[in-house]
Amino acid sequence: MISFERVSLEYQADRFALQDVSFSLEPGSFTYLTGHSGAGKSSLLKLIARLEKPTSGEIHAGKILYSKLNRRQEPDLRKQMGIIFQDNQLLADRNVFDNVAFPLIIHNYKFSDIQTRVNAALKKVGLADRGAEDPRGLSGGEQQRVGIARAVVARPKILLADEPTGNLDAEMSAEIMQLLMQFNASGVTVLIATHDEGLLNTFNYPRLVLRQGRLIHPGDSRHSVIEGHTNRRQPAIKRVRNPA
Amino acid sequence: MYTQRGYALKQSLKQFKRYKFASTTTLLVLGITLALPVILLFAGNALQQLGMRNLEGESLTAYLQTDLSDLQGAELAENWLGKPGIRSTRYISRDEALSLFREKSDIGEAISILGNNPLPGAIMVFPDSNALSSGRVDTLLAELQAVPGVNRIQMDLRWVKRLQAVVALIQLVGGLLAGFLTLTALLVIGNTIRLELLRRKSEMEVANLLGASRGFMNRPILYTGALYGFLGGLVACLIALLSFYAIREPAHELSSLYESSFQLLMPTANQIFIVLGVSLLLGIVGALSSLYRPSQQLTSRISNS
Repeated sequence: MISFERVSLEYQADRFALQDVSFSLEPGSFTYLTGHSGAGKSSLLKLIARLEKPTSGEIHAGKILYSKLNRRQEPDLRKQMGIIFQDNQLLADRNVFDNVAFPLIIHNYKFSDIQTRVNAALKKVGLADRGAEDPRGLSGGEQQRVGIARAVVARPKILLADEPTGNLDAEMSAEIMQLLMQFNASGVTVLIATHDEGLLNTFNYPRLVLRQGRLIHPGDSRHSVIEGHTNRRQPAIKRVRNPA
Repeated sequence: MYTQRGYALKQSLKQFKRYKFASTTTLLVLGITLALPVILLFAGNALQQLGMRNLEGESLTAYLQTDLSDLQGAELAENWLGKPGIRSTRYISRDEALSLFREKSDIGEAISILGNNPLPGAIMVFPDSNALSSGRVDTLLAELQAVPGVNRIQMDLRWVKRLQAVVALIQLVGGLLAGFLTLTALLVIGNTIRLELLRRKSEMEVANLLGASRGFMNRPILYTGALYGFLGGLVACLIALLSFYAIREPAHELSSLYESSFQLLMPTANQIFIVLGVSLLLGIVGALSSLYRPSQQLTSRISNS
């Protein structure tokens, strides 16, 4: 479970990227993080990935209390996460297979395990026979699928996606979403930052809505989240009452 | 090759292969920069051998007062044998001196005109190698000069001492130059590694997001630095060996003109290993100096929104 307790992030004095944000995500949930550009979506993802430290408040991931983490422990926290980028961030100096294998090398897997896992991940995203190819030669959708394979190959507990369909057309976006839903069905907690209304309307899941660094709930400002539909029985997001 | 160390080495070698021209140029710059300190190191040892070799067998000559008998002179030579810093002594009686003079001097016969033997007895003193190398010769000279019955001491070592001083000066200047050039090599490696860091920025940022430790991210860079250092040292050794090979014969010809048996010795395997080890270390230090800041300044790939 990921939970934020009154978390604020201030990059400059009196310029909050996030302010007094509280919510919690249940394990295995699928959640959107929405809001306009500059609303603080990426900042929130950075906080979860411990790429930024909050100015105030506390963040938990399971039993891990972020404020108690030191620099040496941060990589171990990130190893529990898979991150998908809008521009996929594939490394141009290596082929598709090596791109997907990269997290496994970081995790210090054996070569035989790496082969098995990478092939399985590529098969899962429909690129089983494309491992030897240069990623620059793939289409945008295929590149994004390689990015997803890389994010999930080490079987993370949490999948963070920052505008994963931002550069894709509706059909490709739907494919990517199907993939993410499949991983979610296997128990991975998924949090997708997006402002793609089409996507939000087509695939209806709970949303965290950010506006100017604050989580909002139209018509009920005491609650930090909108409760939406979930493909699981339990609600994806716990209501956290903001102390007024 | 997918262990973390294997991966790091593969990435380092891949960079060399990918940027062949830039890597070769950097290696040549490093090799040439390191070549002079390496040549000076090798030559320093050779020059030291030259100084020592010429001191062996050199002596001080103590001229005795003419009223000292042969027995007293021989006793004095015997006594000096026990002094620290003296390897051996040889007493030359007045008669022996006269006979040597007659034999070796062009004006040997002219001395007969004087009627009596004007030459004093003398003791040749051969200092041991410790006294020669540590400069104790001057102290020994003062001690012997103060002995009653000794009229004058002639130091045959003066030219050798001058040579030693010149060698010492060359070594000092060489050491300073070597220091500056080594620093230059360090800066070259540091700068190359900074460029390498820029090239690998994407990889390091992605690795950081995927949970890589600093050790994992820095290892390929350290290996690259070590490779540059080692290969730069290798190039420097090759240049030095070629230079020694080229000047060996002329140096031998020059020394034979001075009736010296001196030969420029080629560097030993140990010396080459030392150079390779030091240059490897230099590469690692250069890489570390560049790594220290940038790896703390990794930025996130997640753009602000």
